[in-house]
Amino acid sequence: MKKLINAPENYTDDMLRGIYAAHPDLVKYASGDLRCYCTRYKKAGKVAIITGGGTGHLPLFLGYVGENLLDGCGVGGVFQSPASEQIYNVAKEVESGAGVLFLYGNYTGDIMNFDMAAEMLDMEDIPAKSIVGADDVLSSSNIQARRGVAGIFFLYKCAGAKAAAMGTLEEVLAAAQKAKDNTRTVGFALTPCVIPELGHSNFLLAENEMAFGMGIHGEPGVWNGPVKTADELAKESLDEILADMPIAEGEEVCVLINGLGATSQEELYILSGSVKQLLDEKGIRIYRTFVGEYATSMEMAGASISICRMADDEMKEWIDLPVHTPFYTQV
Amino acid sequence: MEYISCQQLSDFFKGAADIFTEKKQELCEMDAKMGDGDLGLTMCKGFGELPLLIAENQEPDDIGKTLRKAGMKMASLVPSTMGTLMASGLMEGGKAVAEKAAMGPQELSDFLTGFASGIQKRGKCQPGDRTILDAMQPAAEKAMQACAEGGTLADIIKAAVQGASEGVEATKQMVPKFGKAAVFAAKAQGVPDQGAVAGQYLLEGLARYLA
Repeated sequence: MKKLINAPENYTDDMLRGIYAAHPDLVKYASGDLRCYCTRYKKAGKVAIITGGGTGHLPLFLGYVGENLLDGCGVGGVFQSPASEQIYNVAKEVESGAGVLFLYGNYTGDIMNFDMAAEMLDMEDIPAKSIVGADDVLSSSNIQARRGVAGIFFLYKCAGAKAAAMGTLEEVLAAAQKAKDNTRTVGFALTPCVIPELGHSNFLLAENEMAFGMGIHGEPGVWNGPVKTADELAKESLDEILADMPIAEGEEVCVLINGLGATSQEELYILSGSVKQLLDEKGIRIYRTFVGEYATSMEMAGASISICRMADDEMKEWIDLPVHTPFYTQV
Repeated sequence: MEYISCQQLSDFFKGAADIFTEKKQELCEMDAKMGDGDLGLTMCKGFGELPLLIAENQEPDDIGKTLRKAGMKMASLVPSTMGTLMASGLMEGGKAVAEKAAMGPQELSDFLTGFASGIQKRGKCQPGDRTILDAMQPAAEKAMQACAEGGTLADIIKAAVQGASEGVEATKQMVPKFGKAAVFAAKAQGVPDQGAVAGQYLLEGLARYLA
């Protein structure tokens, strides 16, 4: 293991200390707990959107706390759920009279802890609704059982925009649901990542081997084999996505080309070009393309392709709304 | 022993702390084959602290409230899947013995039944899904039966261990539906579910105090 750290067991908290030190104007922590990450800007009467999940995916999850996006985040250890009490404390800090939306990825541990936090809020008559990102097409044929990966970005954008427009809790939930219904992702890994406290990677790939369909914690994919070209990977990914969510000629989509941590921007743009050409051939129009690191797996190499179908003009307005956080700015 | 008082509750759970310290490595190794590999660490950490959490959250003459508060603290300490399930079991088990000053045969059976239903509710799982519920559900049923037959505390926990052990054996033939284990479904055949094994150890630990 070759990492810039102090001690493996301090990985998460040392990272958080660094973030609060660098961005004291934008974020703070609640209840004296570094892992209760909150915006400094609370707007009265706005639905509070709270996310959360394990460390190791920056800018996911906490990186999307900021203007016109989310209000708070429960931070777990590397690849671990935050505790229900932490999620509850974040909610108590950022809630401002219009209720709370929990918006996070579809993983067993996270679901249990967010559900417990919701029950704790319910005892105090603070309304809380939940929705999980479940966009990873190859993780299951059952749409309810799919893992949440980079496509949650579109759920954040749509829900965040609706909340910024002072929508009700039901309306903000519906915006997230609309994004969820129209978003699909396929990802692939070229090299694994190392969990600091384990000190070694939790799977191995040979020099010229890749894993197609692998999850962002190293969950096995659909095939391991020789590395393919960007064009081939774009085609195989889009074929999977479009088979799962048919998109007609003339329809508009947003494209998200996401790097998993160790893949260069150059490679991501090569992939982006491949996707554009394939969509052109199908007559599918691109409304906006996002290229960069949106949901990583520490230093894993690889990428994911997400497609978000623009179901109506309202969705485009949500996607166009400028946002600003310590990790992500869209003007 | 005829009953466990609220003051004795902390000692009652000491056996669980001990057994998970002893079984830490074994549970980690089982879990590494099917999941994250941290089950032993989680159980050791959570149950290791539990006697102290119970002592610190002692509610005079209310074992139910004491267990619920301690369970909530434990959930924060070990927020992993199995940690949360165990804590939910404690909390729901506590609810089942609300306002009771002591744990007699009826209360112990009610606690174990509540424990199983807490896991089922939180984990959204059913018997046969190859989870810890497949140990705790038969354990609770056997405990209820022993209680109905007029058993002592020792009889009831013995029956629960028996039920859990049969349940663990049955998981060898079950197909996993949850978590990383579901990804490795083919490897699960013939191997007991590690969560169910943890459930059995919990009961074996509790049995030590009543032996």
